[in-house]
Amino acid sequence: MAQCSRPCLRGVGRRGVLATGLVVAPALLRPAFADDPAALPPQPGDRFAHLTGPRKGQVVADGDLPLGGPQVQAYPIDIKSGLVRDQSRLNLVILARFDPATLSAETRARAADGVVAYSGVCTHQGCAVNMWVTSKSALYCSCHGSTYDPRDGAAVIAGPAPRSLPSLALATADEAPFVTGGFSGHVGPTQQ
Amino acid sequence: MTKRLTGISLAAVLIVGAVRAALAASDYTPVTDERLANPEPQNWLMTRGSYKGWSYSPLDQINSGNVKGLVPVWAVSTGVDSGHEAPPIVNNGVMFVATPYSQVMALNAATGDLLWRYRRKLPEGFSALHNTSRGVALYGDKVYLPGLDAVLVALDARTGNVAWEAKVEDWKQGYYMTMAPLIVKGKVLVGVSGGEFGVRGFIEAFDAETGKSVWKTYTIPAPGEPGSETWQKPDTWKTGGGAAWMTGNYDPDANIVYWGVGNGSPWFGDQRPGDNLYTSSTLALDGDTGKIKGHFQYHQNESWDWDAMNAPMLVDFAKDGGTVKGLLSPQRSGYLYWLQRDNDGGISYINAERYVPQNVFKEIDKNGRPVVDMDHKPGTGRVAQFCPGLWGGKDWPYEAYSPKTGMVYIPANENHCNKFEGKVEERVPGQWWTGVAIPDFHFSVDTKAGFYGEIKTYDVNTGKPGWRQLYSKSMMWGSLLTTGGNLVFGGGTNDREFRAYDASTGEELWHFRTNSGIQAPPSTFEVNGVQYVAVASGYGVDPAFQQQLLGDLLGWQKDVPQGGVVWVFAVGK
Repeated sequence: MAQCSRPCLRGVGRRGVLATGLVVAPALLRPAFADDPAALPPQPGDRFAHLTGPRKGQVVADGDLPLGGPQVQAYPIDIKSGLVRDQSRLNLVILARFDPATLSAETRARAADGVVAYSGVCTHQGCAVNMWVTSKSALYCSCHGSTYDPRDGAAVIAGPAPRSLPSLALATADEAPFVTGGFSGHVGPTQQ
Repeated sequence: MTKRLTGISLAAVLIVGAVRAALAASDYTPVTDERLANPEPQNWLMTRGSYKGWSYSPLDQINSGNVKGLVPVWAVSTGVDSGHEAPPIVNNGVMFVATPYSQVMALNAATGDLLWRYRRKLPEGFSALHNTSRGVALYGDKVYLPGLDAVLVALDARTGNVAWEAKVEDWKQGYYMTMAPLIVKGKVLVGVSGGEFGVRGFIEAFDAETGKSVWKTYTIPAPGEPGSETWQKPDTWKTGGGAAWMTGNYDPDANIVYWGVGNGSPWFGDQRPGDNLYTSSTLALDGDTGKIKGHFQYHQNESWDWDAMNAPMLVDFAKDGGTVKGLLSPQRSGYLYWLQRDNDGGISYINAERYVPQNVFKEIDKNGRPVVDMDHKPGTGRVAQFCPGLWGGKDWPYEAYSPKTGMVYIPANENHCNKFEGKVEERVPGQWWTGVAIPDFHFSVDTKAGFYGEIKTYDVNTGKPGWRQLYSKSMMWGSLLTTGGNLVFGGGTNDREFRAYDASTGEELWHFRTNSGIQAPPSTFEVNGVQYVAVASGYGVDPAFQQQLLGDLLGWQKDVPQGGVVWVFAVGK
């Protein structure tokens, strides 16, 4: 395995292996409850673990995010324990990186070196916002086409979603983003 | 004789902010196998009216001579948005309507009084591509609702209280349920959705009384099972799709269930080489065991999202001077099939006619196997345009058959295409996994076409086309209902209209503008000697999404207002 020159997790499963090689106890593989740390929403200090791709399970670094999009899917990870908070679908996060000058002032204030993080759960019906519209440079929901502007607070620019995606305020250290606060609003839809 | 509802107990019980008025025990007529096999004309006991799947009622009090006098007699808001796709089910004056988000309303069918309401609490983080419900099933004194979260729920028909719940599958893997169950001899049959998420489809039967699983039949064979040789690449069968997302039909004499199977997963056939049985097929299942007795695959190695989700109608028709026990099915591929069924479950091909222009099948051979034009078959890294597009010549909305006219009525769409290519994608359970992202669908229409949606009809005996109704500024997304009054009822257009046509001539005889667009199947019933026609109006899901695209392509108004209302009509006095 290649050496990590930046924060990373080696061979991590869904629930975590630390960069130091510490294996998280299998006892953590239990049903999710409200107090399950793996189901807690993103916590200050959390970083992000790739959900897919060649770096699946490893910590998201700024350089993993192509400038100008598309987004990358991830779950928050407690870097100290290696615990990935993937036991609630509502914790799905999407990250993307842009030229900071292209971000709205409010978005730039919550971004870190141009990296933005939003809930990956559509506010319409709760599907994953995991598609990308190249022509609009926009985030796109995989169920009903809600389209969000990642440069402007994930404001809804098309489709049925009633409100923007909640964002996470970020800072950066070691060229990787981490969480500095909770989601800016209610995650996901409200059931009728 | 229609049972009167005058004795309804309205002992209201306040439960979680909702008023529930339980039916007295004497005011509900249990549903039996005999009643399902021979439904009374005054009732609409199952989604398509009968096991044959005709969407036909012999009632004729409302007819082509008086339908102009049809007026609304009551309506009720469902309180939810999105696509309402369930018919009002009526059992001796008690109506049950399923709505999006796994809810059920029980109503006095004559007065509209709300008797009870069930609202399912869906799990945190749950999502479904289609959050609709296509209806409940009735048996004994229970109402069966397939929950979106892949849990089958049995409700007490008198109170709405939960009698039992049965987990069908793990929703986190992408399974969900939207179809109405089919009742077969004391069992509740359900099929699963989730083809876009890479599930392996199945149909499962549960004991109606206890909720215990009786049998489960996968639509995709495991290695070693018959048909597994049609999955040539190892492990592709595990995520091969074949969702069973619409209700089946049933031949009680032969005890054979006919169930439709969706397309393969991911969408691009070159990623799962082989014919891929039983995707895009009709299955014939033994009603007692679920054993596959026969099948017919409409097209092989599916690559166009043309599910064969609708079970064929059981229609007997003329052939070679006699009458054969037949199956009739307008397929999403744009072809109308005449098939023959035998008592052992065998299905044989007779004929197929293209009911909308289609550029993929060069011909269909004598065994019913299409010869595909590879220039119009999209693949991985291979762009192809195909028409009709992925929503097909018709999508799930039900066709109807009238034994009085001998005609089949098809809610159809044409002059639309898609053009895309596939990619190899990593599967995340519960996420879209088709090989093509929605923004890359490249849906198109012929902008110079004179129409897009239509009702198309055929004489089932001669195969000759009959009348057409063309919609110049709308697609057609409405299921149809035929009646003994020589009428065809249906909505389906973006102008929110509910319409009645003369079944013989196609003349529009009546229309009423509702609150929203109508996707739900209409039903008709009789209470205290009065015939009613009922339909839920509530636009959403695919028609609403498609309307957005058509707004860009054709300038149609994008906003078709949403929000469900159940309308009930009768002829004014």
